[in-house]
Amino acid sequence: MSVFAKNFLIEEISEIVFEFSDEDRVFLTSLSLLSSSGESILLSLHTQLKQVYLFFRSSREEIFKSSVITSCGDIGVRRSVFLVVSIFLVVLIATGFIAYYHVWGPQTIKQRVVVYAYNDRITGIDPSVEDDTGLVIIGLVYEQLLHYNPLTKELKPALAVAWNSSEDGTEWVFRLREGVVFHDGTLLNATAVKLSIERARDVYRETGRGAGYIWDAVTDIEVLDEYTVKIKLEYPQRLDLLVAAAYAAYIFSPKALLSSGASSYLDKKLEEWFNGGNEAGTGPYTIEYYRPDSEVRLRKFDKWWGWSLVNNSQAPDYVIIKILPDPQSQYNGLISGEIDIASSVPRDYVSLLLSKGFRTYNLTTYHNYLMFFNVRRYPTNITGFRKAIACSLNLDEAVRLAMKGFALKGSGIIPHGFPGFTEGLYYQCGLSEARQYLNESGVQTPVRIEILYQVDYEETRIFAEALQSRLRDLNIELVLNPQPWSQLKEIAKGVWENPENTPHLVVAEWWPTIPSPYDYLYTMFHSDSKEWNYAGYENEEFEDFIDRAWELEGTNYSGALSLYREAQEILFNDVAGINLWDEVRPFIYNTRVELLPECMNPLYMYVIYFQYVRVGA
Amino acid sequence: MPLSLNYLTKRIVWIFLVIIGVVVFSYTAIIISPGDPAVKWAGNPRGPNASLAIELARKELGLDKPPLIQVLKFVADVFTGNIGLSIAYKIPVFEVILRRLVATLELLLISYLIAIPLGVFLGIESALHRNGKLDTFLQSLGTVLANTPTFWVGAWLFLTLILLGAYPYGRVDPKIATATGFHPITGFYLIDALVEGNLIVFVNILSKIISPAIAIAIYPIGVLVRLTRALVSDALLEDYIRASVAWGVSRSVIIWRYALKAITPGLVQVIGLAFSYSLVDAMAVEYVVFGREGLGSLLIDSLNYGDFRLAVGLIIIVAVFYLLVNTLTDIIQALIDPKVRL
Repeated sequence: MSVFAKNFLIEEISEIVFEFSDEDRVFLTSLSLLSSSGESILLSLHTQLKQVYLFFRSSREEIFKSSVITSCGDIGVRRSVFLVVSIFLVVLIATGFIAYYHVWGPQTIKQRVVVYAYNDRITGIDPSVEDDTGLVIIGLVYEQLLHYNPLTKELKPALAVAWNSSEDGTEWVFRLREGVVFHDGTLLNATAVKLSIERARDVYRETGRGAGYIWDAVTDIEVLDEYTVKIKLEYPQRLDLLVAAAYAAYIFSPKALLSSGASSYLDKKLEEWFNGGNEAGTGPYTIEYYRPDSEVRLRKFDKWWGWSLVNNSQAPDYVIIKILPDPQSQYNGLISGEIDIASSVPRDYVSLLLSKGFRTYNLTTYHNYLMFFNVRRYPTNITGFRKAIACSLNLDEAVRLAMKGFALKGSGIIPHGFPGFTEGLYYQCGLSEARQYLNESGVQTPVRIEILYQVDYEETRIFAEALQSRLRDLNIELVLNPQPWSQLKEIAKGVWENPENTPHLVVAEWWPTIPSPYDYLYTMFHSDSKEWNYAGYENEEFEDFIDRAWELEGTNYSGALSLYREAQEILFNDVAGINLWDEVRPFIYNTRVELLPECMNPLYMYVIYFQYVRVGA
Repeated sequence: MPLSLNYLTKRIVWIFLVIIGVVVFSYTAIIISPGDPAVKWAGNPRGPNASLAIELARKELGLDKPPLIQVLKFVADVFTGNIGLSIAYKIPVFEVILRRLVATLELLLISYLIAIPLGVFLGIESALHRNGKLDTFLQSLGTVLANTPTFWVGAWLFLTLILLGAYPYGRVDPKIATATGFHPITGFYLIDALVEGNLIVFVNILSKIISPAIAIAIYPIGVLVRLTRALVSDALLEDYIRASVAWGVSRSVIIWRYALKAITPGLVQVIGLAFSYSLVDAMAVEYVVFGREGLGSLLIDSLNYGDFRLAVGLIIIVAVFYLLVNTLTDIIQALIDPKVRL
């Protein structure tokens, strides 16, 4: 064997053997040089090591392919056992949890808890300033002096037990209920009433915020004694109706100033304190947990003065107002039993829910949908053209298609059941009359007009599409412009500044603050109300009628209502706006709860008076 | 110490720059879009003084100032931690965002508690059966899962559960929470329920979080199955693994200690990226499908209400979240991989 061959073998051995040292190399070299047997030993050692190495190399891929090391079969078995045991344990624990939940879960609900699914976020709960969705909470936590039911025309005592006015209607005296406790533990007195009314009025006067304009005529509030208050007015008003208003008429505890650290009742700190989830009312429920974006939890106030009068031992201990804007979610919640009362299920599902044993309370609301005509832009500035559109409307069909029957066809501007409602004030004409009006208007067709409506309301979309279809018969092309609410408002009020860039038609909604037709007619059609008068309508005669009616309310209520009716006729003839429908809201509830007629009042939109609700165990 | 002061300084400066960029961009975009936040801030005022209310609201919000001044003032407000009250809810913006962020994070954490072990386990199994039937199946599954829209999976899960009579909507059954006196403290409802010892609520929360968590976990599972398979396959061919095999080291030690340790830095990087991405998934699924409160519903609300304070605050939080997760990922990688120095 050559020296080169011997060195090659030694080199290969050194690569195979782990920790092959220089001493090993010297030893093997010396061994192979000494004798032929030394060569044989080297050759044999190399052959055996090489075989082991090649065996390992050839097996390696196989070893990795079959779960790395097939020789460790026992570990594979142990792994399977481990997996099976793990799965078994997980299933066992999960089953235990579920069993525990189903057995003990229902037993924990011993208190009467009601979940009311409400369809909008709470925008604030300051009793003097809030004039939007916060009413649904405020209506349960605070109280007014009186409570008004427009359906029965009945004024019920709330925090005031007696009241009277001077003959000219400019001085009103309210006698307060004694022993009424605020949620902070203090007692109701005349000072609290004075403070509450003055705050709502002055916040409005100073900042224009809230609904404090209802106290516009209030010049002075005099505390006659602990439980008597005299309110003086600049001009006569039905103050007994105003103190029952849905907004800005709630009485709060003066201690709120102290609690909030506010320096005066106009201090912003007080408003922030209220909106932070604090309250100081006298109502049957107190706020326990306030998340305006998701959930508000109310707890029964045991010291409420009215429990003995209501005599409802089944009233809920807790009311949860769950914010669920999506109607489908409300439906799912009802089906699952997590929700007891839903304010806004898809209208198509109502009959299905009734067939499943749910019940409904159909509330005819004062929430109406109106279509405004831009009277400052061609061609809707021509009365004949507006009449043509009005005649092309089929409100019965609109109610059926858009509202699935859950509405009453509009008549006049004021909704059904509200003071000043006028029967039969809708356009009883069809497409042939529409064509005639169109011809008389002088507007050349084809003509293109635009309608603006709220994008997230399915009913207004359906209405707009139906109108688009009908106007096509008159050779009028209707362009649809759906917008979110904030954009809609911004665009629509542009009718005063920039009418040519404001759509010809705007669909919007309204609900009242005070039980007076003035609320609708002034806000939406008076030329001073440029924030909400989307028609750009200005008519001195109409404004004179409603202003006189407003002042007459305090001394001659029926005379005032007549003036309001005449004012609506002016609007009807001018076709400035059309009340499309008054919404009928189906409140769906399960058999656990019972909604009595006292629970609802259309004047106080969406408020459910839970003190009258009966809850089963 | 693998972390250098230089790295941390750079990251902090970067976060500041991103916040400024986000504020300038998002504020400008929201302010020039149609709609007047002042109307909402004034409370949709009615009555003769409605215009006054809107005018005052505009001043209060600073919308009467030139756009450049508005943006600069808003940037200053952000850095002093005083964005103010939400226009829609009249409560501090950060309070609303923090509450929702915690809700979303809870969902994400549960999702990743499902996704990481499952994805890694399946990935390793796939690697151990390379080119076999199980490998082919798992790789196909990984591809499908990584590419399936989360909201679609969520919708199917939701519908199926509804048909089965379950109601995986919201975070907790309000009746049960009220009746058992559940009062969340941290906002992580599962932890709160455990701390209070309220097992009934804990199970209820778990039953509601599991379906959206699965829907969100779909994407990271898919990614992890494929990635783990690739990393483990490479690792198994490394010399030290072969040596371990030759020395008769047990299979479980080789896989779970040696191979997994080797691939962890790579996995951490990808999990960090996927976690950030899943925030968007969570925002899409949690509210729209499962009606859970979280950042998703907040974004929709803020835009619907023209609540620019909330919207910008939300965008800042999301941007910072991305940066923090990435920074955290880098730090973890530096801590576990001696080759990495920051």
